[in-house]
Amino acid sequence: MTHHLVSRRLMMQLTGGAAGASILPFGGARAQAQTLRAGIAGFGVINTLDPMKASLIPEYYIMYGVFNALLKFNSKMEIVGDLAESYKTIDDKTLELKLRRGVKFQDGGDFTADDVKFSIERVADEKNASPNRSKVTPISEVKIIDPHTVRIMTKDPYGPLLNYLTNTRTGTQIVSRAAVTSMGQEAFARRPVGTGRYMVKDWKANEGVELTGFAGAFEGAPRFMSVNCPLIAEESSGMTAILGNQIDLTSTAPFADVPTLEKRTDIRVLKQAGLNTRYIALNNKRAPFDDVHFRRAVSMAFDRDVLVKAVLFGEGVASPSILPPAHWLDGALAANPAVKFDPAAARAEFAKSKYKAGQEGVMLVWGSNWWRRFGEIFVGQVNQVLGVKLTIQAMDFNAALARTRAGDYDAMVMGWLGLVDPDEYIGEMLGSKGFRNIHHYASEKMDGLLARARTEIDPKKRTAIYREAETLALEEMPVLPCFTSNVHNLIRSNLTGFEQFAYANFGDQFGNMKPG
Amino acid sequence: MGAFASGLTRTAQRFGGVVLIALLGAAAVFFALRAGQGDPALAALGDQATPEAVAAFRARWRLDDPLALQFGRWLAGAATGDFGASMVIASGEPIAQLIASRLPNTLFIGAYALALAISISLTAGVVAALRHGRFVDGAATSAAVLGISMPDFWLSYVLIYALALGLGLFPSYGFTAPSASFAGALYSGFLPALAIAAPMAAAFTRMLRTALLETLHRDHVRVARSLGHGERFVFVHHVFRNALIPYVTVIGLQVRYLLGGTVVVERIFGVNGLGSLMVDAAFARDYPLVQACALVFLVCVLIVNFAVDLVCAQLDPRRA
Repeated sequence: MTHHLVSRRLMMQLTGGAAGASILPFGGARAQAQTLRAGIAGFGVINTLDPMKASLIPEYYIMYGVFNALLKFNSKMEIVGDLAESYKTIDDKTLELKLRRGVKFQDGGDFTADDVKFSIERVADEKNASPNRSKVTPISEVKIIDPHTVRIMTKDPYGPLLNYLTNTRTGTQIVSRAAVTSMGQEAFARRPVGTGRYMVKDWKANEGVELTGFAGAFEGAPRFMSVNCPLIAEESSGMTAILGNQIDLTSTAPFADVPTLEKRTDIRVLKQAGLNTRYIALNNKRAPFDDVHFRRAVSMAFDRDVLVKAVLFGEGVASPSILPPAHWLDGALAANPAVKFDPAAARAEFAKSKYKAGQEGVMLVWGSNWWRRFGEIFVGQVNQVLGVKLTIQAMDFNAALARTRAGDYDAMVMGWLGLVDPDEYIGEMLGSKGFRNIHHYASEKMDGLLARARTEIDPKKRTAIYREAETLALEEMPVLPCFTSNVHNLIRSNLTGFEQFAYANFGDQFGNMKPG
Repeated sequence: MGAFASGLTRTAQRFGGVVLIALLGAAAVFFALRAGQGDPALAALGDQATPEAVAAFRARWRLDDPLALQFGRWLAGAATGDFGASMVIASGEPIAQLIASRLPNTLFIGAYALALAISISLTAGVVAALRHGRFVDGAATSAAVLGISMPDFWLSYVLIYALALGLGLFPSYGFTAPSASFAGALYSGFLPALAIAAPMAAAFTRMLRTALLETLHRDHVRVARSLGHGERFVFVHHVFRNALIPYVTVIGLQVRYLLGGTVVVERIFGVNGLGSLMVDAAFARDYPLVQACALVFLVCVLIVNFAVDLVCAQLDPRRA
């Protein structure tokens, strides 16, 4: 134990800090033993708390605890019932779900099949412009059989359906029709009503969200009846906050500090291989990445393991595919020469391209330091091996995104976190109409494979089709897969009950947490 | 009467200058923001936004109107204290309300930092000048060079690791608003204020030391001594008072850096102030919010400079 000349407790007492004035928003802090302090690190903004409108990961961090979905993942990443007690496939295009009885919304209303129908249909409604709309457009009808039974019918067999009904970044969390209707969408987005174990008590823009426990939750009243979730814009500040006992839990941790943090006894580091992908997005319609030989040459001209060491400090693995190795469908994709660092092979492939040494190109980098380091190391290696002149242009994410949308870029560091279905990775990134396809990559063969995978409901057959798609991607190299990073949470050692999932969960675990 | 009228004219001219600079500053921020890359719609709607949703967002906030019209509309509102609503990071919340809740924290940290910087520099500058060429002078001068050389974000983490995590004297993160507890604000705001104050204190110390040394050797000081005045009297009335004019001027000039410092330091220490709000608003391209924050900062700087001019005029011994 560390002894200080003047203890923090004494200082707090002297200054009135312990008398109720919190140093975090909302007045939580240590004065209230029932308050859990869960810092959302690395983010300063939450735009909405309506699942239909949400797109940012910090929004989901909160919503995971406020809402339930029909289904969820268990600790083995198997799909199990959440608000659905059970489910069964009636035929290739019909899924029947039996709903839990006696479930209450946080405003006291009853949860019924009508809320399920409403929640899914509002995401599908074009007028609502939901960012998750494409996940539910294959649904033709949500049919109410009785107040506790629904059938979800699709136009064609729909492989991703079960994943897209889970309490992850899907937008299909179940909302109360009565609450949305009476409050209006804008008000609902600020004070949402779900069935989860926490209700939104206060949301201060750019500061954080305060949650209060829902005693009537079907999963049981939480141990911590109050949760304070400050938005901590700097990831390193999240770390110093928990080290200084200003918060109890963080949503992430700086890669470089993980080895040091793991040696501490007052903090536990939870980590596992994450469901995420980090890659170099290439503009396939613009020089020099419009040449498949050039793209393949570049892929062999940098060492992915070096990136893992230098960018992630070992907190991740090199990946030969944009589908993360941790994904339930994937397993390990066999080593492929196209993603192996081989300077001689890279130069031989470069010789086949229409570009020569000295070729210029610009790499956009954005975000925190490790993203910039990612781009710098990549460019340094490629320039050295191929003798080309790629340069770095740094900007913030918004500007970079606007550039990619306008098609005004050559290459950019890119990544996605917390996606649970291969359709979101390969389908949306490499499908010619996929909204994550900023690469202007269009391949009839790839589209055919992705369409087949989307309509295949046998998991084994789906896996085989995605394997084909991955192999095709390695041949045509529309993007350069690089690595996946571990997901991390820091938690004070005196707390238990937080179970971490590969898709970077957070708020869903607050209700399970307890001291000791 | 003539002197009064002339003073009134000068004040009116100065006030007119302040308004003109505020207008030019507001225009510069407005057009620079629009000239930059990025789109508030993408920040508000996410990277999965459809073109239709983006178009609807832009129509709602009238972002496709001619820039001059947008600026005129914003300026007309700002002139009456209506800065509009946040487009992105506080979706629809009135900006005046946001500023009212965040500005006091920034002003508190800024004033706290200024008070610390002045206290440190007055002590160090006077001691260094009076012990010119001795060890204390060397130490104070070296500390000043070190202080000027340290970036505020780096110093912030040094202070966190040394005083918060190392000695456990202060919180490592978070801030108690002065409205909740003034003593709590003094305690939790000490490290962020010190991080901002250190480079300023260094600059002030160097300026004060130099001014005092120069003044100590001026003719009027020698004359005062020859008239038999005591050293303390001479120092206070003939040296220190003269040296205060450049010192106060430098304080006025440094205020802009003080406000810049809060932008960085607020994020590191978790102070919910105007600086951190402006940074996130800028990343999100929340145009009206950035414009309002920038205008508030600009007006603060202009007010301080205006006040410094008045103070310097009062300090001028020729007025005594």
